[in-house]
Amino acid sequence: MKPQSLLQLPSQKCTTGCPILDRLLGGGIPCDSVTEIVAESGSGKTQICLQLSLHVQLPVSHGGLAASSLYLHTEFPFPFRRLHQLCLSFRSSNAHHFPINDNPCDRIFVQSVHSVDHLLEIMSKTEPFIENSKTQVPVRLIVIDSIAALFRSEFDNTPVELKRRSSLFFKISSKLKALAKRFNLAVLVTNQVVDLMGPNEGINGLRIGNLGCLYTSGRRVSPALGLAWANCVNSRLFLSRNEDATREENGKLNGESGGFVFKKTRRKLYVVYAPHLPESSCEFEITREGLFGVERQLTG
Amino acid sequence: MEVLRLPISASQRGKLISAGYTSLSSISSISSSDLARDLKVSETEAMEILKVASQSRGAETSNASSSVVEGAQSAWDMLHDEESLVHITTSSADLDNILGGGIHCKEVTEIGGVPGIGKTQLGIQIAVNVQIPHDFGGLGGKAIYIDTEGSFMVERAFQIAEACVEDMSEYNRFLRKDFQECKNKLQPKDILENIFYFRICSYTEQIALINYLDKFIYEHKDVKVVVVDSVTFHFRQDFDDMALRTRVLSGLALKLMNLAKKFSLAVVLLNQVTTKHTEGSFQLALALGDSWSHSCTNRIVLYWNGNERFAYIDKSPSLRSASAAYSVTGRGIRNSSSSCKRIKMM
Repeated sequence: MKPQSLLQLPSQKCTTGCPILDRLLGGGIPCDSVTEIVAESGSGKTQICLQLSLHVQLPVSHGGLAASSLYLHTEFPFPFRRLHQLCLSFRSSNAHHFPINDNPCDRIFVQSVHSVDHLLEIMSKTEPFIENSKTQVPVRLIVIDSIAALFRSEFDNTPVELKRRSSLFFKISSKLKALAKRFNLAVLVTNQVVDLMGPNEGINGLRIGNLGCLYTSGRRVSPALGLAWANCVNSRLFLSRNEDATREENGKLNGESGGFVFKKTRRKLYVVYAPHLPESSCEFEITREGLFGVERQLTG
Repeated sequence: MEVLRLPISASQRGKLISAGYTSLSSISSISSSDLARDLKVSETEAMEILKVASQSRGAETSNASSSVVEGAQSAWDMLHDEESLVHITTSSADLDNILGGGIHCKEVTEIGGVPGIGKTQLGIQIAVNVQIPHDFGGLGGKAIYIDTEGSFMVERAFQIAEACVEDMSEYNRFLRKDFQECKNKLQPKDILENIFYFRICSYTEQIALINYLDKFIYEHKDVKVVVVDSVTFHFRQDFDDMALRTRVLSGLALKLMNLAKKFSLAVVLLNQVTTKHTEGSFQLALALGDSWSHSCTNRIVLYWNGNERFAYIDKSPSLRSASAAYSVTGRGIRNSSSSCKRIKMM
């Protein structure tokens, strides 16, 4: 057993494809670390995952890892059409990095996951898979979208079941971290939210991370899977979405006759906790080309 | 010193141990005939054993002949030793204050809290601060950082090290006005080089590493702190047998305690929190259970109070229960900005 020299320790980041978001995240999603994205449905979790699995293919000089990605999805169906759309714009803006007739989608390995046991089985197969793919473009990104979907149905709300559940969290997490360490991978996991009732901060009055409460769509929410899972990830990001009220009034003026109210969704990304990042947040928007930060709201 | 290490035959050693003579001191005052009777050996053989024992004891106790038992100290000596020890500052004066000057050497300090409260930040800060040279009131030691969770970020350690170096040169400018000395001061790069970083991916590795530490520190005597971030992570999976887990953990704790005593270094264990079901309600408690809570000398719980981070002394044989606010800044752990005089003594 030998200590590793900190000066030679690789600390690469994978770009998100947006310089503003990269600046907020200190360069992107870190390798050898598990990053979690928490948000309600329709906030852009899957968008970030898709975008990252494309941008990981960029050469290292352009913030990517020059690598392919493994995409495990538990929510159906897999958004092939959206991926294709993002792929087209990604290709056209980075055409000089890829040969003609080359399809970046070829370097995204998609696998569906149906249950926790299935996930564990896949993860045990992942190691030889990554090892053998070394000759081609190496896998340097694992996405699990989402971890919550696997756990929210399978377990009863009894102490024994909950204990089994949290033991599985730590098992999955330690396997992911071991893979991340061994192959210097970036790991991105998405998680859902649960609504919060009552006056307390968080579940059982417990606050996790920089923000006392997480608000999205005007509701108070908390990341799913509880405290045990919160211990399993290295960094946690939160995406919120809120309907913009001022735009709503404008929309009413314009579109009242048709009964259609125009609303603009304001989206924001927060760093809930991360060992290398301060408390900060940034507004972003989702366009046809992907997900981009908006400069004017940069805080922290 | 134990009977196990005596240069006698294995069968004699076995007889000694099965008769209950495990330490050298236990055979120091016994006559050869009694020993012969107890071990069921001839008197000459017993005499030989005693001779060997007294020789090896003589070699060990030549400089501390006054103590009754090998390695024992009087409370007075211990107090004197403790007063001369330098503490590791946390870079927050309020925290140092409730900790009695900082993290103590020769003790095992456990620090626990929810994710994002700053456990890893405090761990990195301590690994950096232990290197503050003697001239600046530090220990001038090195650090071992055992990372079980993968939360240690080199860029963050570098930021904290930079801030630490800046603070030191500031101090230099104010108190000494001696620019010659600034020249050969510690660089952030050196600070990173003096942290021995181990990344652990399973509990078997963790156990093996802690067993190996004794040898490692023997070779690197200037190590003054061992940080384990976190001691918990790998022990929260795959353990169906909780009794086994408790035994393994208390074994680890004993080894760390021994290291702390033997090499006069500080051991800092970071722990997670879990919810504990008591009398129908859920309460927050540090993980690993009740028997683990006996393993550490000091326990510090980090928690949120409103928008401020607080540290609370949960258990300590020498410190009074108190809490203090701190904050995590770009430069590392610092005093909470909004609290100048808000330390509560309870």
